[in-house]
Amino acid sequence: MRSNYRAIRSRNESAWLVPKDGTRTNHQLRTDMRRYQDDDEVDLVVVGAGAGGGVLTQRLARAGWRVLCLDAGPFWDPDTDWVSDERGAHTLYWTEPRQIGGADPVPLGSNNSGRGVGGSMVHYAGYTPRFHPSDFRTHSADGVGADWPISYADLKPFYELIEQELPVAGQDWPWGDAHSYPHHAHPVGGNGDIFLRGARAAGIEARVGPVAIANGRFGNRPHCIYRGFCLQGCKVNAKASPLITHIPDALAHGAEIRSDSMVTRVAVDDRTGAVTGVHYMRGGVEHVQRARAVAVCGYSIETPRLLLLSATARYPHGLGNEHDQLGRYLMVQGAPQTAGRFDDEIRMYKGPPPEVSSEHFYETDPAKPYKRGWSIQTVSPLPITWSEHVTAQGHWGAPLREYMRDYVHWATLGALCEYLPQADNRVTLADEKDRHGLPVAHFSYSQCENDKQLTKAATASMETILKAAGATEVMTIDRYAHLVGGARMAARAEDGVVDHAHRVFGVPNLYVVDGSTLPTQGSANPALTIMALAARAADRLIRHSRRGMTEAHAEA
Amino acid sequence: MTYRSEDQRAVTPQDRGRFPGFDVLDSVDVWDQVTAGVVLDRLALPGSLAFFTEGEASVAGPLLDLLLAQDREPRVPVLALIDARLAVGETDGWHYDDMPEDAEAWRKALAFLDQDARLRDEGRDFAHLTRDEQVSVVQAVQDLSSEGKSWHGWSATHVWSLWTRYACTAFYSHPWTWNEIGFPGPAYPRGYLNLGVNAREHWEISDTGTEDSNVDPVTFATRVERARNEHQRAVGEVGS
Repeated sequence: MRSNYRAIRSRNESAWLVPKDGTRTNHQLRTDMRRYQDDDEVDLVVVGAGAGGGVLTQRLARAGWRVLCLDAGPFWDPDTDWVSDERGAHTLYWTEPRQIGGADPVPLGSNNSGRGVGGSMVHYAGYTPRFHPSDFRTHSADGVGADWPISYADLKPFYELIEQELPVAGQDWPWGDAHSYPHHAHPVGGNGDIFLRGARAAGIEARVGPVAIANGRFGNRPHCIYRGFCLQGCKVNAKASPLITHIPDALAHGAEIRSDSMVTRVAVDDRTGAVTGVHYMRGGVEHVQRARAVAVCGYSIETPRLLLLSATARYPHGLGNEHDQLGRYLMVQGAPQTAGRFDDEIRMYKGPPPEVSSEHFYETDPAKPYKRGWSIQTVSPLPITWSEHVTAQGHWGAPLREYMRDYVHWATLGALCEYLPQADNRVTLADEKDRHGLPVAHFSYSQCENDKQLTKAATASMETILKAAGATEVMTIDRYAHLVGGARMAARAEDGVVDHAHRVFGVPNLYVVDGSTLPTQGSANPALTIMALAARAADRLIRHSRRGMTEAHAEA
Repeated sequence: MTYRSEDQRAVTPQDRGRFPGFDVLDSVDVWDQVTAGVVLDRLALPGSLAFFTEGEASVAGPLLDLLLAQDREPRVPVLALIDARLAVGETDGWHYDDMPEDAEAWRKALAFLDQDARLRDEGRDFAHLTRDEQVSVVQAVQDLSSEGKSWHGWSATHVWSLWTRYACTAFYSHPWTWNEIGFPGPAYPRGYLNLGVNAREHWEISDTGTEDSNVDPVTFATRVERARNEHQRAVGEVGS
């Protein structure tokens, strides 16, 4: 499916609003930005300008809503704030204190947590696969996980819209609901070449893409320069993040992005039970912003934390937590990473790390003892991340240096295993306090037996591919990738935190529109799905408001 | 240019490397200036330590040298780079719930390592052990880590991960180590033209199979074996 740029531009002009003079930020748009007073009652406060909040803000602003989006981090300028350096990307991560525990603790920070306008998509690799239709009904089909209160068909039109707005580049996609992409696939580097070669030899299907990196100019956004620093923030404006795909259009339509503003609680009127705005800290001063409705878009750790911190006499366990569901069913994907050694020089640091992927093992294989599956993708660690891979083998001292010195000879693949949602994998509040004096999040995580079997099988599949490509030695590190769940969508309040329309159960004008609402995670990177969900949630809000309805009348 | 002196061309830590003459700093003028500022800052002469006490530095210094096999000059100032990070609390945010946050974890773990040293025969501090004795004290922590056991009440795996994470982040962020491993560093706005197996830019240098700047076409397997033997010898001599 090829794009009609005029149609895209008529619903989201962002790519045409970034400068075409070689600089990356439209400063005029930010200077001219509409600014609300704390006393103004806006139609909607959005908490967090990431994949969910960014899209929601843009859609509603364009529909004429008075929208204010608060973000705890900076309003980035890629020219002045980001560097083409692995270590220097530290400022892109959420590094406020958090505790991790459980049998298999999940490191946060650089691994999966973003900061500032654009959210984690500023430093995600750029893979934007769709979920498969089966992901929405794993409980019915496989007896594991959960069924969503919506189906793939409900989300499909929004997948198509977002794929055009990012835009996504890749070969025709044969898996799940087969589809094509608006931009052609990118050329591949050494790492992608090895994957394609090995997969072909091993009889495993692989495809180039799908990545949210324009292939060719898109609006005023330039072509990718294949420099390999996608995970450090794209200084080129080639890789998509809400900072350039949705925020510019939101500003042009009257939204305010208020950065460096950390929301500390959602304000509730206990007499009516309704939300009245948010409390936030800016420059060490507490403010209260009034709003007719609030959408929390803080991702899987901070969204549950904020709703827990917002407890009142009427909602003693936090907002949306009447049935003890808040913070639960938080998921990460098992992400074993297998590297293979070649006599040839691979130089995996060249070109975007996201190049080639396979969903050959995505679905449940009835012949296997485990349910669900995994995907395989190129990952191309830069030196610091590569050193983690080497030290995980137990190497230190002279052997560590020797392996590292061999960097240019290694190709690396990563799997995304569909670990199952479990009630005890959850966010709670710890005793420890942050610098605002608020309890920090504690994230407990433990794998189940199915998870462990998937990791093992996924690792074996990657070793097969690399050996088929001629690797003389392979080594694997067990990692985690992505976060979803924690405030999941469900048909009934007893099973989740939000309904099919992202309304928090039991609170009339509060929404959660981010990755925390996902009931299952598939083996797909979540960014595209989070954006599509936000576009769908916005679409419903706009349709109802056009008919003069408030949430109180609107029952879908 | 003030970021290096005339005799500091193509420096690698301990003069080890496989890409003789490759100097990422030759390309500073094609990096964007924001990135250049951040990277060149790492070449500044370190000031005095701000976080570690003298006693802690006497343990951390040799520990970091061992972890990264920095046994002679020129050295990447890893201790100073970690000290600067801990002094301003620049962590990854998260910490294991069975351990304190990183700064305190570092202090305590160094004290534990010193305790381990004093438990040996003559009751000497870690700083006063021979290099090989230090290796065996450190190796003992890693052994506990790979067995999933605890060390002074903490998960040895978590301690080992703390040490190696900070050490490698500092070491492999330094342009001298990029020279050593053939990584060109910052790539904006230049980017890459020649992608693919065995494809190089005209300014990239091939792995010549040399070591210590002498022609030494030894296979990877042999080199690794040699490094392992060197490592094992240090551990084994003391352990036996």
